Amino acid sequence: MNKLKALLKARETNSFLFLVALFAIVSIINPEFASVENISACFNSSVVYILIAVGMAFAILVGEIDVSVGSTLGFVATVVGSMLRDGVNWGVAFTVGILIGAAVGLLNGWGVAVMGIPSLIFTLGVNGVLRGAMYVYSNGAWVENLPKNFKNFSSVTLFGEFTVYFVCCLLLVLVVHLLLTRTRRGRYFTAVGDNASGATLVGISAVKTKIVAYVICGVMAAIAGIIFCSRIGFVTSISGNGYEMKAVAACVLGGISLSGGVGSVVGAAIGAVIMSSISYLLVFMGFSSNYDNAITGIILITIVVIDALLQHRSAVRMRHERLLNRTAGTVEGGDGK
Amino acid sequence: MKSNKIRTLRGKANGWNVFLMCVLVMEFVVFGIANPKFLRIPLLLSSVNDFIAICLISLFVTFVMITGGIDIQAGAIVGLTSIIIGVAWQDFGFNIWGAVVLAVVAAALCGALSGFFIAYCRVQAMVVTLGGSFLYAGLALLVSTLSSTESYQGISGFPESFKALTKFKLFGVIPSQLIIFVVMIVIAYLLLHKSKYGRRVFLVGVNPQAAEFSGINSRLVVMSTYILSAISAAIAGIVLTSYLGTAKSDLGSTLTMNIITACVLGGTLSTGGKGNVLGTALASLIIGLMRFGMPLCFKVGTQYLDIPVGVLLILVVVGRAIMEKPQTAVVLANLKKKFRPAAKAAQ
Repeated sequence: MNKLKALLKARETNSFLFLVALFAIVSIINPEFASVENISACFNSSVVYILIAVGMAFAILVGEIDVSVGSTLGFVATVVGSMLRDGVNWGVAFTVGILIGAAVGLLNGWGVAVMGIPSLIFTLGVNGVLRGAMYVYSNGAWVENLPKNFKNFSSVTLFGEFTVYFVCCLLLVLVVHLLLTRTRRGRYFTAVGDNASGATLVGISAVKTKIVAYVICGVMAAIAGIIFCSRIGFVTSISGNGYEMKAVAACVLGGISLSGGVGSVVGAAIGAVIMSSISYLLVFMGFSSNYDNAITGIILITIVVIDALLQHRSAVRMRHERLLNRTAGTVEGGDGK
Repeated sequence: MKSNKIRTLRGKANGWNVFLMCVLVMEFVVFGIANPKFLRIPLLLSSVNDFIAICLISLFVTFVMITGGIDIQAGAIVGLTSIIIGVAWQDFGFNIWGAVVLAVVAAALCGALSGFFIAYCRVQAMVVTLGGSFLYAGLALLVSTLSSTESYQGISGFPESFKALTKFKLFGVIPSQLIIFVVMIVIAYLLLHKSKYGRRVFLVGVNPQAAEFSGINSRLVVMSTYILSAISAAIAGIVLTSYLGTAKSDLGSTLTMNIITACVLGGTLSTGGKGNVLGTALASLIIGLMRFGMPLCFKVGTQYLDIPVGVLLILVVVGRAIMEKPQTAVVLANLKKKFRPAAKAAQ
């Protein structure tokens, strides 16, 4: 158990070290980068990614996946954005947005956990429906002219260069992390992801846990959508496209195993910072942003391949040890007789 | 006993195909009534241009899904092939057919790379092809920067011989795309249902360990399915480039959901081991005609087409899940019991 804990720790530390190394290398190549403004800009611009990655982390921890978060984000941003534009009370608009997120999560949870449909396929369908619903709601037009004070709120800073959003987001990640690792219900998620039938046998409802995970994922995407509105200031009909893939990539970079049960939301958040910083860092390294996707893909594939090879090796070693122990036991037993 | 089981399975597959045929016919009837223009043969036949990529790629993604994998990188490979043809022809002075061959080889290599990681390094197919979709779309963008033409414009002005590939019409009506589609169906059908290779693909999907123990190089089989799907994406890329007359790096970026829907609707089991080429072909036609008929007959904007496709995908998977639940089996059995006495009484 201690070993496992150490391993878990190592996975996040690795991604954190990777992030630090990334910043260090870029600073060496281009000393201009090594300023508080630039580094805090990397963190500030990653808020939306962190939120959806943390939500996605829940879906992946229980051993499923949710590729509808991108369009959930876009749909919520469209709805909340147009409500704010029309002068609806902020509280009402935010509540509606979060309720939409929760409803999408509930639908996903029902399809995946209750009906037992492969999660990638079901959420892909929901993704398409929401993407279309976004067009229907906005008639394909941009949502613009959001209230000024709503937009300005994104540039309010706390503690020097960090925005309020980033600080709140950081607190949220820490709270969620503590809830996940220190409470009984929090541990249910990793238990279900690790071994769903085993968890059911000891009295944890895998179905309920998965539904809750999807609802959290949807709500996180909704919050990300609201912040997206405030930060960007307008919503187009393709807003949020491809975010689901970046969220999955962030989780993988953060050391969350896609087979479920291994990883933490802190890892997901670190992965999200790496993902969102890449295009920013490329500019400082003198590459055009055209390299963005290719480098993201290379990093993603390299990390999962290395991870899979290491896992395979440790599995083989453990099997070998088990076998040795068993044969040693029988030999001793034979001696005893 | 075993042959019986296989026979019933085959019967089920055929039943599903008959159902798909009915849906297809229903589409013709509904769209035809809503707007008689839909049934004009030349218009109908040329509509195939809009969805030929979905048809071609989903045929071979079926192979991937039968082995229990998934392929979401095919869309990116369509764009990559297209832009490689354009850049190799315009900026590197390749003969147009040389450029086409180069593009197909490049696509096959992309498929082989992803397939290698999936089969030999045991990484989940979902993640590798996700990474692949980033990587190959990124590569396509990089290749497009090699060109002197701005990437958003696309490379055009291809020689007539290349454009003729898709302008040709058999008997003056049947477009060559349809012929390519039929040829690909035949190839896929023979490969999957009539060859040793096809049996291996199924066995690997049902039980990879058993396949390995019975002397099948299951890893090679898995890898080969990704190469095949990449090549089919390359062919789709060639056809689209030839038809549109422009090479662009983002062709095919919106295909993924349609392809997966076509496979699932066609009766392919996403957990592997089940699927057939004819079902996928029919399903891709259903989706294609829907994408063509909805805007024409009901004035649905093309941006909204994700809704019906998404709903279709969800309905199919939910419906199938309901049918497989034990409760439904009980309900169905009860219904049978109820109706049987009635039938007897009638006799």
